[in-house]
Amino acid sequence: MSTVTNDIDINNSKNSQDLGHYFLERSRLGSAQGPCDMDEDEEAPTELNTINSSGGFLVVSPDKLSVKYTSVNLHGHDVGVVQANKPAPVKRLVYYFEIFVKDAGAKGQIAIGFTSESFKMRRQPGWEANSCGYHGDDGLLYRGHAKGEPFGPTYTTGDRVGGGINYASLELFFTKNGAVVGAVDKDMKGPLFPTIAVHSQNEEVHVNFGQKPFAFDLKEFEAQERMKQQMTIEKISLPTDVSHGIVRSYLLHYGYEDTLNSFDMASQTTVPPIYVAQENGSCEQDIMYALSQRKTLRQLIRKGDIDAALCKIGDWFPQIVQDDKSATCFLLHCQKFIELVRVGALEDAVKYGRMQLAKFFALPGFEDIVKDCVALLAYQQPQESSVGYLLDDSQREVVADTVNAMILLTNPDLKDSRSCLHSYLERLLRQLTACCLERRTLNGDQGEAFHLQRVLNSSGKKAKC
Amino acid sequence: MFGLINIYGMVMKATSKKVITREEWEKKLNDVKLRKEDMNKLVMNFLVTEGYVDAAEKFRLESGTEPDIDLATITDRMAVKKAVQCGNVEDAIEKVNDLNPEILDTNPQLFFHLQQQRLIELIRNGKVEEALEFAQEELAPRGEENQSFLEELERTVALLAFEDVSNCPVRELLDVSQRLKTASEVNAAILTSQSHEKDPKLPSLLKMLIWAQNQLDEKAAYPRINDLSTAMLEDPAV
Repeated sequence: MSTVTNDIDINNSKNSQDLGHYFLERSRLGSAQGPCDMDEDEEAPTELNTINSSGGFLVVSPDKLSVKYTSVNLHGHDVGVVQANKPAPVKRLVYYFEIFVKDAGAKGQIAIGFTSESFKMRRQPGWEANSCGYHGDDGLLYRGHAKGEPFGPTYTTGDRVGGGINYASLELFFTKNGAVVGAVDKDMKGPLFPTIAVHSQNEEVHVNFGQKPFAFDLKEFEAQERMKQQMTIEKISLPTDVSHGIVRSYLLHYGYEDTLNSFDMASQTTVPPIYVAQENGSCEQDIMYALSQRKTLRQLIRKGDIDAALCKIGDWFPQIVQDDKSATCFLLHCQKFIELVRVGALEDAVKYGRMQLAKFFALPGFEDIVKDCVALLAYQQPQESSVGYLLDDSQREVVADTVNAMILLTNPDLKDSRSCLHSYLERLLRQLTACCLERRTLNGDQGEAFHLQRVLNSSGKKAKC
Repeated sequence: MFGLINIYGMVMKATSKKVITREEWEKKLNDVKLRKEDMNKLVMNFLVTEGYVDAAEKFRLESGTEPDIDLATITDRMAVKKAVQCGNVEDAIEKVNDLNPEILDTNPQLFFHLQQQRLIELIRNGKVEEALEFAQEELAPRGEENQSFLEELERTVALLAFEDVSNCPVRELLDVSQRLKTASEVNAAILTSQSHEKDPKLPSLLKMLIWAQNQLDEKAAYPRINDLSTAMLEDPAV
């Protein structure tokens, strides 16, 4: 049994405050470069750690990307081992690095693998607990025991060998000359350091942490991994025409009325006929409200005609612009200022700024945006400056969306105030993102997060522009 | 009061699962960064892939979202689809070849299915002689190249053996669904030839949501969305 909470917040003023700030946040989103910064800020290995290596047996080159065993090995405790300067990052689908065997030396006792921070730096990776290594002289895989298990081919001078962690399948895998040799369960704990070892005279190995192209096609491997997951997901069945309904509610929510009309018209003649769910009652009503006014205002704002928009809002929904220091008024004034800069009416912009924007300088929450707006004046070519995002089409869209939400909120029959803020589509995407993120958190942060942008960019199209 | 009892019950029950309250979860939802443009792109991708050409054009104007395909090609694609749906297969084949002759050249299975559909339409219209001639001259040679084509051909010709097709075991070939199947196959092939994915992204994302919630269920109790069409957040079952 589950309970559906449908709490209606009566406190309207508090609500519109929250709403406004949501849109300020969205305005800021435009200034952020590239995709959302929820992960990918993890540091990855870049070079070998020269401090914590078994000095005396090996020499690390000045660029810290190759090692050579210089002495004559006598026993199992004089292995030349060196770890990467950072552990393998975990917030991704796959981590991978590669070595090139420059010289297999006297015995070719080379190893590639992963070890923990506390690894004893005189032993081969795999010989000690909580470590794993693929050895060149016997092709065996060692996992925490002195005895190896049959794994792959041996490798020697001229070979390129790779080690990777697949966070989707929770496996370690190794490659030789671009082909996967095999994979084993990742049963090791804690941060794992890429590790290489040399153990006989003149053995020399170069390591590649991704600075140079790999012999192994990592991109293709990742694509295959995603495909596997996708295959599982595609087997799930959806209620009939649920996507159609979500798209329709999106158009309604944002007041894309012309699109909606064309969409509905086409849907009537579709074969097989579209199954349109019974009106979602109250929810549907909430987003039907004032559709044509919302459409008109969106058109005006998208054209950059803020004066006309302000005028119409004053006529139709005066309560929205009553408080001149509200986030909605602020965004409208900013946009007016931006439009003046766009057409090069800088003197008018200055005047308008003094009249309407100056008062926001001292207000927390507005400060940064108003500064960015005013900064437009400092550049001869503002669209190329760091505040150029303000001149983007998307900024107009933010303002139009703010006004749209505020109008929805004036609906006296409003059932659920949250419906003004997020379309169904947005709620579903937020839920999806949060679920993926939470799952990763509960999984020791391993694996990649969900990014809508990646899904959007992963189209089959290639050479078309 | 009752709420309090419920919460205690939940904590006691869920020994291994992490319990995430509605408040905590809503905070997480609010922290998600989503760009409006990206949602617009998702909607545009749906309109374009599903062939809503007028709506796509309006949406371009209303939202400033650029379609990821030339809208004119949608009209052509939909014309082909419609022709198959109406049973004008010959017309459809001609249109596909006008669009890009490589589509049928490189896709023998699709071409066979279109020819098969043409045969079905001839039989439907009672043109027995024409149907036989077409089957022998156009389809049989293809059957020689491919065993599964041959089986399909034989299955289709079986329609001719029945005076009253309602008794025929392969009568479903005459259903509208057969036309729709063929139409959607052509539709997909055209999209692929235009370097476009044959399916819209939105349904996949919805499936991914169901999957992600199921996955998270194993580790945590949290507010779920059970009904995609209302996107209503529901408290975890107690």
